[in-house]
Amino acid sequence: MARFRKNKRVPFVRPMLKKQPTVDHVTGDKIPKSFVFSRGKLPGVLRQLQMDMRKLMLPYTALKLKEKKRNNIKDFLNVAGPMGVTHFLILSKTESSPYLRVARTPQGPTLTFKIHDYSLAADIVKSQLRPRCHKDLFQNPPLIVLSGFGTGEQHLKLATIMFQNIFPAIDINTVKLSSCQRIVLLNYNKDTKRIDFRHYSVRLQPVGVSRRVRKFVQNRQVPDLSSLKDVSEFLTRAGYGSESEVDDEAATVSLPTDLGRVNRASNKSAVKLQEIGPRMTLQLVRIEEGLCSGGVIFSEFGKSYSSLI
Amino acid sequence: MAEATQSVDFKNFGRKRNPGKKKGKMARKRQRTMPQGGERKGKIDLKMRKMFQKRARDYNSDEEDEDDDEPAEQDAVAIEVDGRRKNNEKFEVGSSDDGEEENEAMEGEEGEVSEDENGGILPGVVRFSEGIKAFKLAFKKIVKKSGGDDDVLGPVLSAHKKLLGEKLAEEEEDKKVKGGIKKEKHLISEKGHVKPENFLDAHEKFLLGVATKGVVKLFNAVNKAQNAQKGFNPSRTKDEKAIKQRRKEAFFSELGKTSTQSVGTAIKVGTSSGSVDGEAPAWAPLRDNYMLTNPKLKDWDKMQDTKAADDFGRTSDADSSSDDK
Repeated sequence: MARFRKNKRVPFVRPMLKKQPTVDHVTGDKIPKSFVFSRGKLPGVLRQLQMDMRKLMLPYTALKLKEKKRNNIKDFLNVAGPMGVTHFLILSKTESSPYLRVARTPQGPTLTFKIHDYSLAADIVKSQLRPRCHKDLFQNPPLIVLSGFGTGEQHLKLATIMFQNIFPAIDINTVKLSSCQRIVLLNYNKDTKRIDFRHYSVRLQPVGVSRRVRKFVQNRQVPDLSSLKDVSEFLTRAGYGSESEVDDEAATVSLPTDLGRVNRASNKSAVKLQEIGPRMTLQLVRIEEGLCSGGVIFSEFGKSYSSLI
Repeated sequence: MAEATQSVDFKNFGRKRNPGKKKGKMARKRQRTMPQGGERKGKIDLKMRKMFQKRARDYNSDEEDEDDDEPAEQDAVAIEVDGRRKNNEKFEVGSSDDGEEENEAMEGEEGEVSEDENGGILPGVVRFSEGIKAFKLAFKKIVKKSGGDDDVLGPVLSAHKKLLGEKLAEEEEDKKVKGGIKKEKHLISEKGHVKPENFLDAHEKFLLGVATKGVVKLFNAVNKAQNAQKGFNPSRTKDEKAIKQRRKEAFFSELGKTSTQSVGTAIKVGTSSGSVDGEAPAWAPLRDNYMLTNPKLKDWDKMQDTKAADDFGRTSDADSSSDDK
């Protein structure tokens, strides 16, 4: 006799995904989204770099994008349309070096960068004494700072526009400073023609407050007063070595609103940057009209094209 | 005998429905066991035949014609053949062993064999305890013997010292080549991968400075923009209007100086190698759709008069230029 099934099979329910808005609520701009994937088989290190890049592009990217060997760019392009993906970051590797292609979909230009050297986020974390990488960092898109790109050359201008549009624009009238947690720096070196790609976290600290007091306010823990003779000593006694943080006048800002418990609008705060994420040295090698195809607008090595700009 | 039991079985069937089960079982068992010997022989034959065929193929290719016509023959013949095979095989194994032994003998007969005899190992049955002692002695001797100056292999019991040495050398070389290939691959895959130092060098410091400058610039801009609308609650309509008014003022004051100042500075910022903030075009007044989204643009020129109190505090003389727009 057939037994009755005791535990009813629960049908697989896809977890409800929180739909990401395609349009900014406040400013009404279209939010750029990106895919980071690779062409060809990458060694493990570069796959990690790809993961780091995905994290950098958060939150408007596919963190767990699965790719197969037989996927070609058209597949990604087909998916990109309905999902509102506007940019592709494509990692690839040749015998000489790895390459990064930044492309606008569906038609836009493709910039090909040669990655001269790179360090993973893990390497940077390892090199730091006190790495700082909490999850909230990646809940907001990074700011982007481009430096040294204004040499007047057309291809650099194009690169500037490309990178500015890869992250959502912010409206300074409405932006909350608490959402500015990360910064991506692209520094163009005129002499070597290379671009330094860095990724920092932004932290604010009140200026003119001793470390002890700052920690006391931050941690909400009862401080250890056992070595002190009087309570007042806690404030009056000079701190030790770490007081050497030179408060640069250039790096201080005054905030429009309070930011957390420590950074008050009334007093000045210092901007502290700490490196996270990957580090790369890029060289713009080629610009193509189409998505990884089409006419070559600019080529670093091919002389015949450079006059066509 | 099997037939006999069977007949008994039949008789039982005739008399009773359920004859002595035990007996039947036993009978069947007997029945089974009896011919089993023969069957097993046959089975072994099959197995053995296959094995022997294989061995024969390995050792001697002349036998193959016999293998082909064997399946047609019956077991009796097969046994015969097996016998022959066994002999053959024995002979072959013996011959191969002989060959090896000959080799051994050529190299180290007087060395090892004689020593074995000195150690007291005798062919035949040896008692366990004695065996341990004898084996120990022999082994000790062998170990003691080798270990000379250029004896790399150490005490090798086999006589094929030269062969062994060659093989080892070859293996090592193989390993080396393989390792080299692997290393090369690893190097290629790691190309460009740099582990950063624990300290900030000058370049990193410079980059950090640039980034800090950019952030400070942005924060200051935000501060300036948001301080202007401080004290208003954007959700209240009244305040919203005021905020809009302010923004408009700021916009027109900006517009007023476009022809003279702001465009110039924008270009300057673009051309200078200083940090160009990515957020610059994100600033609402500079965006293309700013005017379009603002519904009350009809009386924009009236607002110009109130501009004296705007937060930027600039008196622009470019009313005419803004009129053109």
